[in-house]
Amino acid sequence: MKKTTLVVALSLIFLTWNSKAQETFPVNDVKDTRAGAHAFTNATIVVDHQTTIQNATLLVKSGKIEQVGAGIKVPAGYAEIDLKGKYIYPSLIDIYTSYGLPAVESGRGGNPFGSAEQIEPKTKGAYNANDAIRSHYQASAEFNLNTKAAEEFRNAGFGSVLTFRADGIARGTSAFVSLGENRDNKSLLKSQAAAHYSFNRGTSTQNYPRSMMGYIALLRQTYLDADWYGSQTPRPFSDQSLEAWIQTQKLPQIFEANEWHNVLRADKVGDEFGVQYIIKGGGDEYKRIDEIKATNAPLIVPVNYPEPFEVEDPLDAMSVSLADMKHWELAPANLARLEKGGITFSITANGLKSPNEFLANVRKAISYGLSESAALQALTTTPARLLKVDDQVGALKKGMLANFIITSGKLFDEKTILHQNWVQGQQFVIKALDVQDANAAYSLTVNGQAGKLEISGDSGSPKGKVTFDTTSVDASIRFANDMITLSYQPIKAKTDRVRLSGWKEGTGFRGKGQLPDGTWVTWTAVRSGDIPKKDDKPATDLTVDLGKVLYPFVAHGSAALPPQQTLLIKNATVWTNEADGVLENTDVLLKDGKILKIGKNLSDPSAKTIDGTGKHLTPGIIDEHSHIAAASINDVASNSGMVRIGDNIDTEDINIYRALAGGVTAVQVLHGSANPIGGQSALIKLRWGESPEKMKIAGADQFIKFALGENVKRTSNASSVRYPQTRMGVEQIYVDAFTNAREYEKKWNFYNDLSAEQKKLAIRPRRDLATETMLEILNKKRYITCHSYVQSEINMLMNVAEQFNFRVNTFTHILEGYKVADKMKAHGVAASTFSDWWNYKWEVRYAIPYNAAIMHREGVVTSINSDDAEMGRRLNQEAAKTIKYGGLSEEDALKMITLNPAKMLHLENQMGSIKVGKSADVVLWSVNPLSIYAKAEKTIIDGKIYFDIETDKLLNKEIELERMRIIQKMKNAKKGGSTTQRTASSIRHQFHCEDVLFNESEY
Amino acid sequence: MKFLIRYTFVVLGLFTTTLHAQVPVPVKPQSKPIALTGATAHLGNGRVINNAVLGFDKGKLTIVAEASSNPDLAGYEVINVSGKHVYPGFILPDSPLGLVEVSSIRAMNDVTERGELNPNVRAQAAYNTDSEMITTMRLSGILLAQATPTGGRISGTSSFMELEGWDWEDATHTADIAVHLYWPALMTSQFDFTTFTSTEVPNKEYDKEVSALTQFFTEASAYGKLAARETNLKMEAMQGLFDGKKVLMVYCNKPKEIVSAINFARKYGVKKIALVGGTGSYHVAEFLKENAIPVILQQTHSLPDRPDDDIDLPYKLPYLLTQAGISVTLSHDGMPARARNLAFYAGTAVAYGMDREEALKMICANPAKAMGVDNRVGTLEVGKDATLFVSEGDVLDMKTCIVSQAFIAGKLVNLPTKQEELYERYSRKYGHK
Repeated sequence: MKKTTLVVALSLIFLTWNSKAQETFPVNDVKDTRAGAHAFTNATIVVDHQTTIQNATLLVKSGKIEQVGAGIKVPAGYAEIDLKGKYIYPSLIDIYTSYGLPAVESGRGGNPFGSAEQIEPKTKGAYNANDAIRSHYQASAEFNLNTKAAEEFRNAGFGSVLTFRADGIARGTSAFVSLGENRDNKSLLKSQAAAHYSFNRGTSTQNYPRSMMGYIALLRQTYLDADWYGSQTPRPFSDQSLEAWIQTQKLPQIFEANEWHNVLRADKVGDEFGVQYIIKGGGDEYKRIDEIKATNAPLIVPVNYPEPFEVEDPLDAMSVSLADMKHWELAPANLARLEKGGITFSITANGLKSPNEFLANVRKAISYGLSESAALQALTTTPARLLKVDDQVGALKKGMLANFIITSGKLFDEKTILHQNWVQGQQFVIKALDVQDANAAYSLTVNGQAGKLEISGDSGSPKGKVTFDTTSVDASIRFANDMITLSYQPIKAKTDRVRLSGWKEGTGFRGKGQLPDGTWVTWTAVRSGDIPKKDDKPATDLTVDLGKVLYPFVAHGSAALPPQQTLLIKNATVWTNEADGVLENTDVLLKDGKILKIGKNLSDPSAKTIDGTGKHLTPGIIDEHSHIAAASINDVASNSGMVRIGDNIDTEDINIYRALAGGVTAVQVLHGSANPIGGQSALIKLRWGESPEKMKIAGADQFIKFALGENVKRTSNASSVRYPQTRMGVEQIYVDAFTNAREYEKKWNFYNDLSAEQKKLAIRPRRDLATETMLEILNKKRYITCHSYVQSEINMLMNVAEQFNFRVNTFTHILEGYKVADKMKAHGVAASTFSDWWNYKWEVRYAIPYNAAIMHREGVVTSINSDDAEMGRRLNQEAAKTIKYGGLSEEDALKMITLNPAKMLHLENQMGSIKVGKSADVVLWSVNPLSIYAKAEKTIIDGKIYFDIETDKLLNKEIELERMRIIQKMKNAKKGGSTTQRTASSIRHQFHCEDVLFNESEY
Repeated sequence: MKFLIRYTFVVLGLFTTTLHAQVPVPVKPQSKPIALTGATAHLGNGRVINNAVLGFDKGKLTIVAEASSNPDLAGYEVINVSGKHVYPGFILPDSPLGLVEVSSIRAMNDVTERGELNPNVRAQAAYNTDSEMITTMRLSGILLAQATPTGGRISGTSSFMELEGWDWEDATHTADIAVHLYWPALMTSQFDFTTFTSTEVPNKEYDKEVSALTQFFTEASAYGKLAARETNLKMEAMQGLFDGKKVLMVYCNKPKEIVSAINFARKYGVKKIALVGGTGSYHVAEFLKENAIPVILQQTHSLPDRPDDDIDLPYKLPYLLTQAGISVTLSHDGMPARARNLAFYAGTAVAYGMDREEALKMICANPAKAMGVDNRVGTLEVGKDATLFVSEGDVLDMKTCIVSQAFIAGKLVNLPTKQEELYERYSRKYGHK
């Protein structure tokens, strides 16, 4: 609690060095150049986060620090300021602001789809091919000091900031500026201080990219383009964005990530191109501290902790997720955990409504375990070093800028007041230096009558009590500068008030006043002693009762990941999917993540035994067509072969857990169907709680999504102008892409065959990631899964493939596959279809539920897929429909979701059947897995039990208890004065195939 | 080949009449009494007769008995269906069936009229018996459907249709059975394209929207009592709600919306109310029970609303509500063609705790009651419509749900649809048979 303070006259303005004088500027007055020489004496000077000097002196002249230390003699001509009892700190540095820059106009709001696509960039001039690449932007060109904003920053203790424009994926350079109020010329300390990047295309309305993976792909391609462009003299053409990109690579590279997955994503892109980004995080790094540390990236971390939710009403509070509740609880502990993890970080006020919330939030982080030294380092030396301006700011050393703050005590003590903030030798008073605690007891004399006065309360709202004889009344008190206004009602029964006006005298007050009858009187208040302080609550250790971090950080996550176990499943009905068929009363032993033995009466003393009596054991379900566990699914370039789902795995998608509960162990996360050539897919196992990279199936073959028909023609968008608009055009897209790929290969082969000497004279071909993807297909290093419906397009793609001497791997959806099953068999393509979907658009008018059965009988490797998180957890039921529609055997039906998709994904050597040596990816079912009555009781991946129906029941209880615990805490926080505004959590979108258009549920 | 034998009997045998038709040819009214014998009959009221005799004549059930009671079958054509199961025709509630064909094509949609308050708009008038979707439902036991307009605040008036007939007059079972009210949402969703997340925020228009409904219902309930009145089609269409001829079907999901909506309808003297949606209904189960409100769950093969929810909550919901004493009906939401999975939604309820015959009620007896047509359909009882079907096995489980015969008002309908015709055509192409 701040004490009531009394301001005492102090005017140092006349001492201030007039730094506005600048030699090149015209003078409209007489010359007024001053030395600005100050000596700050008797202070506790914190030179940097490691060094503090007691009783020290700081000499400042012409905006620079001259000397710091104890026992320094004040030179003549230096204005001395005695700072006994005060502290001097280097002023704070925020390297993530947009201070002094024009606001970025927000891009197109609402649903950006349904209108004509903008294929070309809109930026006029010789700039990049993509509007989101704005590397040519220079903040220094637009910087203009903003006194109001500067004051807000200064009042929070900042002296200099990095300012950048938050627009685009490549955002150009930032400027490092001081927060003084001289000319822009003086404030601009470094014009090209850092280069900035993000996963946000900003104001660009260009068609591509519009997904997380697209942003990453564009960054990759731009690195390659810049390298190619820069390698040529003369340049192949002019691209001022690439020129700037090249020139700014040597600067510190700052990436805005804002969330822990994105921190890892950004770092991974940097690693590919030998760049170590400084990464702006989201304050949620504690959720994955080990992975964050492994990036080695210095972080810029905000302290914009979430506000508590409105949880008073139990029905309404259901809309608040456990993940959000837990983040509310743990966010203030984030910085402490970063420090403990040995991670380099600086702290930013970015994300706060105003910098004036900043110090309080840093102090909160300290009360959650962050050391004061680390906090100061993160606000001074670290940001200065990251920006390579540590010769100018971040410490109080000779020759550095006179950027410092004067405080009443240790900076991070709650009661400490910031008195002054000096910027380049320019003084700014925040709260007058010579303030005195006015909270005290006084002997009061009014018009000769003696009484008592007590002042208490906060400085903003002081409270007074006046006592004459034995009667005490409340007094209203107001301080303004060094003046006091005081009034009280001497007789309780009457409303007449005594009104006093006074000024400071010694440690008390005196002044004039007027009695209710109009008599003018004099009064004095002489300090007689302190008011006994109410004991502040002892500092409680706020870190003690914090909840645990969950992996993943959502409801149904766990504090610990499941261990790999030796498991012996006894006496089950085992669906092997091998020649053995279905084995009754059989044991299966899982060890070291593999299936070790299948047989009767197996034993292993080290194994945990699971009774499978009456139950069924099957291979884990594999979903060939899924869109769960990804941050984005669709980009929209006609050829988006350069985008990779694997770049944006989302480990916190609850649908991973829900799918596990449906017996699913592996999925292909496919790109959507917006483009003839879609993106590269990711094959993952549903290792719930693991990091993105650990979910991926190591060593798996690479796949890509293609798509045909209505979606790629953008049929649902009547305004679409994008090529292609017909199935004829779709064919041409493929022929063109593969033709170009062959020529690309020739060009590169020719170049690569040149001698070193010849290469010097030749022009190196441009690398093109989309075309390289095509080439991988031609060279059988990448395989196509193609979204398809009608027979004409199915035939077309097979013909194109044969023309280019490769084979389509899989047709997905393929609802008219039954019409050309013989051709598909001859081509050697697999089919992954829906059980019973039709009639939701014209191209599925002739879809029939017997499709899977016909293709299967024709010898096409056939599977049933989901394309949908809901159906993805009931794939066993969808497979069973091949019995109803087409009369397949139960074993063949089960293979539709296990062995057959394994074959399509080239994973049949490690999964898809229960066979010795394969991965221990199995599911124990309550009854026959093809029955509607079946439930997965245990879903095991790599010998780890990722889903257990009994554990799930416990989890439900734990979730409820944890919610209740935090709700109580939130309610207390609300009583404690925290604002509560938010009412509901955000819900992740459930992706489908055509999900650039989120409001459509077409497939 | 073995796998086709079943269909050779069940399906292909009937092809002669359907080969080139768009939809299976409608059949003539029942001309002679028929008796199905030997089946396990699931009456839809909880009762099962293991060796049953089910007789019907002129479209009505005349015998529902155990074979051991030796009912008189003189004059009946006896069809032995031993080893099979007989069920009452399932009812698909709240369906766009007949009003929409290919949903993505504007020309093929007749399900949403413009405007907010459309009680006068009638599904019956647009119901297209040539819709190729309709007859596919019958292969999963759905023989009756509530053709229902959607959209706006009051979407229109639904009619109860038999899934057989040359035109909508033939197909109408009961016209104009319910008015459909989409209760204003307390929360609206804001979508963020940068993060692909949606966030619910309080609906600022809620009070205004409720106020518009208040005015409409106030006027509507007064309209009927006006001595001299100028005819107003919207007001006329509302009158059935106040005299009990129509059901008010109210759509909402959140507990608070449910309470507000039901109290609202009660206040205006609506006699019959059903709640549609109700994913959050179990939180106000006591309230629903006290008010005797049946709940029509739109889609139980769905994901929970929230990541914190029990992952099986949608599957368990029918059981939870039934346990709480509420009459539950299962419905379908989403891709119209997939409504044919209705029986499996009941199957899932069994997997999550419900008794099998109790689950069956949710797709026959309970919807009939909720829609006010239980005097004629929903259960197999003498005097009720002979709308029933024969399945080779347990119809709630997809692997045994093989419908071999279906009777609608006593008429043995032609089951194979265009889909079975295509199956046949291409199986022949490849020589699979």
